[in-house]
Amino acid sequence: MEDKELSYENVRDEINKLKRSKSSQLSLVWSRFKKNKLALVGFIIVSIVIFIAIFAPVLTPYDPFDTDPFNRLKPPSWEHWVGTDAMGRDVLTRLFYGARIALIIGVLIILFEGAIGIILGIVSGFFGGLVDAIIMRIVDVLRSFPVIILAMAIAGIMGQGIYNVVIALGLVGWTTYARMVRSKILTIKNSDYVEAAYSIGESRFSVVLRYIMPNAIPTAIIMICIMMPTALIASATLSFLGVGVQPPTPSWGSMISAGRDYLIMAPWISTSAGIFIMITVLGFNFIGDGLRDALDPTTKRN
Amino acid sequence: MAKKKHYFIYRILRTIITAFGVTLIAFLILHLTPGDPVKIMLGPYATEENVAALRAKYKLDQPLHIQYISWIGNVIKGDFGTSIRYDQPVSELIASRAGPTLVLTGSGLLIAVVFGVLLGVMAALKRNSILDYFSTFQAMFWISIPAFWLGILLLYIFGLKLRLVPIGGMVGITSLILPALTLGLRQEAWFARPMRAEMLEVLNQDYIKTAKAKGLKYGYVIWKHALRNALIPIITMLALRLPWIIGGSVVVEVVFSWGGLGSLLVNSVLARDYPVVQSILLLIAILVVLANLAADLLYAVIDPRIRTEG
Repeated sequence: MEDKELSYENVRDEINKLKRSKSSQLSLVWSRFKKNKLALVGFIIVSIVIFIAIFAPVLTPYDPFDTDPFNRLKPPSWEHWVGTDAMGRDVLTRLFYGARIALIIGVLIILFEGAIGIILGIVSGFFGGLVDAIIMRIVDVLRSFPVIILAMAIAGIMGQGIYNVVIALGLVGWTTYARMVRSKILTIKNSDYVEAAYSIGESRFSVVLRYIMPNAIPTAIIMICIMMPTALIASATLSFLGVGVQPPTPSWGSMISAGRDYLIMAPWISTSAGIFIMITVLGFNFIGDGLRDALDPTTKRN
Repeated sequence: MAKKKHYFIYRILRTIITAFGVTLIAFLILHLTPGDPVKIMLGPYATEENVAALRAKYKLDQPLHIQYISWIGNVIKGDFGTSIRYDQPVSELIASRAGPTLVLTGSGLLIAVVFGVLLGVMAALKRNSILDYFSTFQAMFWISIPAFWLGILLLYIFGLKLRLVPIGGMVGITSLILPALTLGLRQEAWFARPMRAEMLEVLNQDYIKTAKAKGLKYGYVIWKHALRNALIPIITMLALRLPWIIGGSVVVEVVFSWGGLGSLLVNSVLARDYPVVQSILLLIAILVVLANLAADLLYAVIDPRIRTEG
């Protein structure tokens, strides 16, 4: 073996090659994902929901807060496609604006819990030892509480409102990310290219930043897609229980809750909001499932 | 063998640490309040004397660690404090509400496991058949529908429209059907999928092929050899799903006006009756911690292949 073969540049090239093969893994995942029909359906559903959320004011002539005492509990008609609620508000309009609330809360929850979970997961996996033990015991403790119960207690104490829902669910929900990211980091930490990076004298800090982080990011992104259904259902449930986003804000959860008192007279209020939640969550679940299969093709078609 | 003993000791130590953390969270919940918890509990019309009396009672005028020690000391003695709303010992309240919740979660769990295992096994045996696709799709459907909405939908169809069952409350066995189904069907998905995967894996093992090659009857092989081994991971799944089933029961109890711990918890959260909230949270979490320990130890005893390192 000649000396120049072990030079810094050559090893660096080798490492970059390994890194590239890792990033092409993402494109492989994407090509597998595209072939999955259900995932594609999910993608279309979610796109439509996002479209509705963005263009809600254009899509409907009504205001979600405008009450009309002379048009209470009107069944579906040409003017009100999904009827009106107990205060004479157009239900379809509130459903459209509800998409906004649902997606905003969902994204905020995921950003918040994702940030805590991913950072703690990286710290835990990379440093190991006492730090890892402490973080993992905190995870154990939080996972001993049913998510919805602890979040309800926290949100109930802090009071109603969008941000309190996000904080309550985020403080409880980050543990899943921490565990996933930690185990991913442990795999990466023991991989050849990280060892190679150390051997050419890269510092710990630069290894984390340049080799470990970029490889953990696909896992993190996929986690986020997979966690969306849980965030949507949990935030709607908190609204239903009376500690989340409350009327008059048009959230799907509180619409179902309010429509419950008029199930016989006006079943369209609860039913339509329920269908909206279900289809949206189904869409995200299809995507999540497609991603999971694409990532690990052995799970389904063995 | 020594390794297994070490694993047991490690696992029990971990449980003790987790249980301690759980008590800390239940205790600290009260201190999350932005204002004075006593004033919030008593409402805006409380007199100064009442506020002072309650503060002294909960030792809220003392440092945090003293408060914790006195609280945990009382809890260990079985004294969970007094409900502010009902003016009744929390332990009595919980005891009177625990029965209905146990019945509900028990039947929900039963439905989830029975349906889940059945569908999972059938899907694995008839892989890529209509039944397999149905099983996958229905699992996806159940996990996409919020429990409270499923409950309201069932209540609407079977209670209000068809009038087959009472619309809430606890009157006889018929009133249990809808709440138990709402709880169980949503959880069933979590058993069906792992059961299918596990069964497929077991069916691929050499000992199944050997059993078949020996000329044993197909049904016998499935029942005696495959199912028994495939069921082992379900123990872990049970412990893993327990918090979700308890969480689901809270929602279901509210939808069906079921007078158990769940509806007591929700009402106490809304009424800011913190001694009750704290105690129920603590009991549920301790239950989950113990269930996890039991599942892990049982698993280690049953399955000889268990990894014994952390």
